[in-house]
Amino acid sequence: MKREWNRNAIVYIFLIPVIIHFIVFQIYPFLLSFYLTFMDWKVIGDPEFVGVKHWQHFLSDKLAWKALWNTVMFSVYYIIPTMALGLILALIINSGVKMAGFFKGVFFLPVVTSFVIIAGIWGWLFGGTEAGMINYLISFIGIEPQLFLANSSQALAVLAGLSIFKVGGSTMIYYFAGLQSIDKQLYEAARIDGASAIKIFWKVTFPLLKPIHFYVAITTTIGSFQIFDSAYLLTGGGPNYATTTIVYYLYEQGFTGLNLSYAAVLSYVLFAIILVISLIQRKYLGQESKHY
Amino acid sequence: MLKKVISYTALFILGFCFLLPFVIMIFGSFKDVEFAQLDPLFWIPEDPTLKNYIYIMRDGLFLRWILNSIIVTVIPVASQMIFCAVLGYIFAKKQFPGREAIFWTFMAVIMIPQQLLIIPKFIMFSDFGWINTYWALTVPELWGIMGVFLVRQFLQNIPNDLEEAAYIDGANDIQIFMKVILPLSIPVVATVGTFSFISNWNDLFQPLIYLTQEKMFPVTLGLASMLGKEGNFGFEMAGSAVSFIPTFLIFLFFQRYFTEGIQMSGLK
Repeated sequence: MKREWNRNAIVYIFLIPVIIHFIVFQIYPFLLSFYLTFMDWKVIGDPEFVGVKHWQHFLSDKLAWKALWNTVMFSVYYIIPTMALGLILALIINSGVKMAGFFKGVFFLPVVTSFVIIAGIWGWLFGGTEAGMINYLISFIGIEPQLFLANSSQALAVLAGLSIFKVGGSTMIYYFAGLQSIDKQLYEAARIDGASAIKIFWKVTFPLLKPIHFYVAITTTIGSFQIFDSAYLLTGGGPNYATTTIVYYLYEQGFTGLNLSYAAVLSYVLFAIILVISLIQRKYLGQESKHY
Repeated sequence: MLKKVISYTALFILGFCFLLPFVIMIFGSFKDVEFAQLDPLFWIPEDPTLKNYIYIMRDGLFLRWILNSIIVTVIPVASQMIFCAVLGYIFAKKQFPGREAIFWTFMAVIMIPQQLLIIPKFIMFSDFGWINTYWALTVPELWGIMGVFLVRQFLQNIPNDLEEAAYIDGANDIQIFMKVILPLSIPVVATVGTFSFISNWNDLFQPLIYLTQEKMFPVTLGLASMLGKEGNFGFEMAGSAVSFIPTFLIFLFFQRYFTEGIQMSGLK
């Protein structure tokens, strides 16, 4: 008994509180939220059982489907450019330039900066008048001032641009690690065969980065489904619901409209989407690890 | 040669684009601006003034936001470093029934988006009386599974010999943790700390839900409220610049831990 305590005291002292914490702040809310989807939660008074009313409402709620569609469109604008930017940054950093460490830091800086700071600057850069910096720049090539965030067909793309800028640096880190792990002899061999730099990139480097492409694609997809901050800060979901993403809609329903039960339904929809993406990742990574 | 020219050109153009927003923030914060008549190049440095900084400091509210941010960041950071180090050790080295089951149950919860948990947590915290208090932003963040995962990964690669030798010398496991494991784990624990710092300092969603009183806001939510209310770009940039200082310092000194942490969490 004494020996067991000497060897494993730390397990009892730390693990038990953590398990309790885990149940209180993760498991219980998760279950409570599911229960909530079948209830009408009220600000005052007891919740009332309403069955699948909120789930049915979701199926016929045009705005919820628009929010899902907006989120998918956001992913379209966001995923490939973020991956491309990360890969380009990693290739530059990895090409043997001087001050690579300094620039790696520069490219990574937006990753650690809060959305609030970047959104403040971004909103001004993309100001919808002639005083906006981007409008000023495009005026030199003869383009009329654009409304950007106030235009329902441009706003989502401007928000995606913000996220690309913010996340590109972390994608770069993954690709950089991937590039470093490629065997230098492969490049040598290709060069001896007379392959051009571009050909080497497309035939050697790009295919060998396949596990990284996949991992980055999954994490950016999951991230894009959770986009909220920039829509909250810059557009408030508008104009005309053009930037109402699923999480923004959930926030609006739950915390401005105080319809927490319906927000819980929306959050379970989000969860289902993320779960499916994660399971695809698990399955693929499981297979991938066999090759290494 | 051509390759070098392309690399450097791309490096400087992209470097310029990435730095420009930060340059605008810093220069802009020292300019006296009227929002309505803002011109696109207003930030070009001339006639610098501290007016914006003096304005945001005028009533102490902004300083209170900074203080709130420090409180809701430092407590989780310190606690996460301790708990993640110990739990990482437990899950990497200790033998006890249910170890794997508990660990992978913890890990599975990563797939639950935080936006799902926030709705029931809002109801729970209303019942606890935690709305508009520091409790709501600190207690749930006292440990985190990603940090545990990182430490576990790290310690699994370290042989058990040292630990076994210490047991034979009669040390108990808390002594072993403090004297043997912790000194070895400093880099990974630093990674946990830096990640925790960034996620807590920059968090907007949770404060937005749990806080309604201006004086309880962390600086992210405070700045967001300025964005809507003040409408003066100079004030905003001054506020942003001040709130950016801690992030920048942490980044400057711990950059290595960020990048290593990202690689460790991603590519097992």
